[in-house]
Amino acid sequence: MYKAVVIGGSAGSFQVITKILNSLPENFSLPVLLSLHRLKHVRSGFVEALSIKSQIPIVEPYDKEIIKPGKGYLAPSNYHMYVELNKRIALSTEEPVNHSRPSIDLTFETAAQAYRDKIIGIILSGANKDGAYGLKKLKQLGGTAIVQDPNECQVKTMTEASLKLTPADYTFTTEQIINFLLKIK
Amino acid sequence: MNKYELGIVDIRNIIATLDKVYAYNFKDYALTFLKRRIERIIEKYNLKDADGFISKITEDVDFFNIFLHEVCVETTEMYRDPSLWRILNDEILIKLFSENTNSKIWFPEVSSGEELFSTAIILKRLNLLDNVRFVVSSISKQNIQNIQEGIFDSKKLEVNESNFKRIFSDSNLSDYYSQQNELAQWDISLIKNTKFIKQNIIFDDYPKGVKLVLFRNQMIYYNQILQEHCIKNIYDCLIPGGYLIIGNNEKIDYWGADKDFAIINKFESIYKKKLS
Repeated sequence: MYKAVVIGGSAGSFQVITKILNSLPENFSLPVLLSLHRLKHVRSGFVEALSIKSQIPIVEPYDKEIIKPGKGYLAPSNYHMYVELNKRIALSTEEPVNHSRPSIDLTFETAAQAYRDKIIGIILSGANKDGAYGLKKLKQLGGTAIVQDPNECQVKTMTEASLKLTPADYTFTTEQIINFLLKIK
Repeated sequence: MNKYELGIVDIRNIIATLDKVYAYNFKDYALTFLKRRIERIIEKYNLKDADGFISKITEDVDFFNIFLHEVCVETTEMYRDPSLWRILNDEILIKLFSENTNSKIWFPEVSSGEELFSTAIILKRLNLLDNVRFVVSSISKQNIQNIQEGIFDSKKLEVNESNFKRIFSDSNLSDYYSQQNELAQWDISLIKNTKFIKQNIIFDDYPKGVKLVLFRNQMIYYNQILQEHCIKNIYDCLIPGGYLIIGNNEKIDYWGADKDFAIINKFESIYKKKLS
């Protein structure tokens, strides 16, 4: 029933993200949208690092790229990444939100508007409250909201802000997140 | 905490109103972009909802001009993507403009002018500024006026300076502007050879015989139909062998594009018009 996964976090959640990506099988049935806080002037290296052990291809998408299952889409540095209603990526250089570009809120909100109740949103460890509003919107529109267990996070700001704003469907450890994703048919 | 949200029908009504009242057709802007942009304007100007927006813009032509300014996205910074500007400095600008005078560089849709001033400063440093004429187009009269005055927000100075240093470690951006409190002003002699064109949505009036087009991170706000329309018009205005530079996650991929353009640098999205 699900059509997409969207994940938000900061550079500090890199290890968790690679762990999740590396556990997904080559034929994973959903696209994975990644909105991660990153240095704005470092354009190369991140997508390569995420790709090393991932079985699904990870790209920094082109504007208006069609979103396909079994592929990871990483928001490019210094761009917001949106999902258009016709399930294409749209990039933007609009002003930062919560001091962030890419903004997790904006990726989550537009992805939720495009996929409604067919999306899973996951908020990982991060250092500001970006993502909390996006996860709330995602849940309001019928999506499934997952927050990484704050006890497992080095920096709890993002996960705690998310849980404060909206009750998550699940508060999961990394292992539980992976198991949840692997059970999706 | 929940902000006002436009529905699809609201957006269609707004697009229809702008077309009917002012003959500006926004139908080929990217939908989520236009939605977010208009929601932001509704909030900023306390218009409450789509109906409030429609009645204000129908009655008030000044507000329409404000809208055209507000719908445009300010360029994030001077020398965004320093590695591209280094290539422009080291190779492209010298190659294109060393010998010929009166050569044109076109900026097809400009919001806040950073790309124009970034280019002009490099040309000045290369001692080539007098060889070049700039053509700057914008849908917004306000944008054009702001650029002509050279005023910009000094909050951006820190990132502008640090980008500049990544290219020219031995020099300071402050050689090219003056600063008073929150406002800074470019040395506007940098843009003395500039023709400004106020245009409708895109390209109702465009230059010919252009050697370089800088059009970065603007087409991301359009749908594929308008993107293709823009690129084809740019193709017509470029001389054979002329360059087109777009944003680094944009690409030219309409059917047959490979006959029109060669990719010179994929990472920086630099294209060259083929010779025939």
